[in-house]
Amino acid sequence: MPKKVTIFTTNQCGYCGMVKKYLGIKGINYEEVNLDENPAKRQEALTISGALTVPVTVVTKEDDSREVIVGYNLSKLAPAISA
Amino acid sequence: MNQDKVYDLVVIGAGPAALTAAIYTTREDIETLLIEKGAIGGMASVTDLIDNYPGFSKGISGLELSDELSKQAERFGTKIEYDQINSIKDEGKYKLLQGEINQYRAKTVLIATGTDYKKIDVPGEKEYLSRGVHYCATCDGAFYRDKPIAVVGGGNSAVQETLFLTRYASSIDLLVRSTIKASDVLIKELQRHIDSGKVKVHLKTTINQIKGENNLVNKIEINQDGEVSDLNVDGVFIFVGLLPNTAFLKGLIDLDDRNFIKTNLNLETNLPGVFAAGDVRSGATMQIASASGEGATAALKIREYLEKK
Repeated sequence: MPKKVTIFTTNQCGYCGMVKKYLGIKGINYEEVNLDENPAKRQEALTISGALTVPVTVVTKEDDSREVIVGYNLSKLAPAISA
Repeated sequence: MNQDKVYDLVVIGAGPAALTAAIYTTREDIETLLIEKGAIGGMASVTDLIDNYPGFSKGISGLELSDELSKQAERFGTKIEYDQINSIKDEGKYKLLQGEINQYRAKTVLIATGTDYKKIDVPGEKEYLSRGVHYCATCDGAFYRDKPIAVVGGGNSAVQETLFLTRYASSIDLLVRSTIKASDVLIKELQRHIDSGKVKVHLKTTINQIKGENNLVNKIEINQDGEVSDLNVDGVFIFVGLLPNTAFLKGLIDLDDRNFIKTNLNLETNLPGVFAAGDVRSGATMQIASASGEGATAALKIREYLEKK
């Protein structure tokens, strides 16, 4: 179980909804940073992911190591939250 | 999950065609599994506003429509798995679907994998992917608040996405290879933004190269009717047509010369028991209403097929 999960999203992003739905199914709590509501956070999302896109999911593990998943990518997201 | 279980129907994809088919089949107790590799709702889910789907007088966002369709399908008992199918094998009594995560068995299969946006294959397109080159306005538009951008394409998608992006960008250069071929209603809406000075249309224009600095796009080289020049933009959104998601079917399912799936009037492919519906089908109109209609038709034909077996 991860220590913390943060998702950068926008209002109309279908893939963001998919990441949230998937985490919901898996019973993982997450913090959402909506870039439409918090445009100042765009730079933070870019710095973390290196990309101008959402969703960006940041999984912080028990040992404080961090995994960043860009887009809706189940093959990376699933092991990241189960590790 | 039990990988030996044989479903009545496995639907590959979860766009409007797939979800409509699942609504019909599960209501009739045909045990149905949907397998999706990306977003529920498919391309529709990343469309800002769907204005021509019947029943929504004020239009509906793609995300909302997708959500409602999937809730409706799940209400009747549709199961959804997240996986990418890499191959289908005919094992006689059932079809074996090999996914990245699991194997699935089904008496019938509906392929409703839809399409993805085409690339323009110019230098810089791959290098700056998600760093100034984008194919999803609703996902990435928010990064271009008060910034100049370009949109490439002249069809319904390009114009629709341009209209969406006007809420963020300071200016939009719309680059059209020949002429705009969008619907009149979209063109009328676009004209409002042309008149306000926010959108500038460049006809007979293509991109030669996408250039950048510090890993981000800062300009594009364009060719307008033979004249080459640079445009300073921070982002390029590309909507130049659609490619069917059929690579995993080659050699098994008959495809047309553009790799869309050939079907008969029952929406059945050359492989008995395997059907296709929606944008991935040869001759599809690329409309959500049509995809839903094809989903319903496919469901009824699948029921007939199962009853005969």
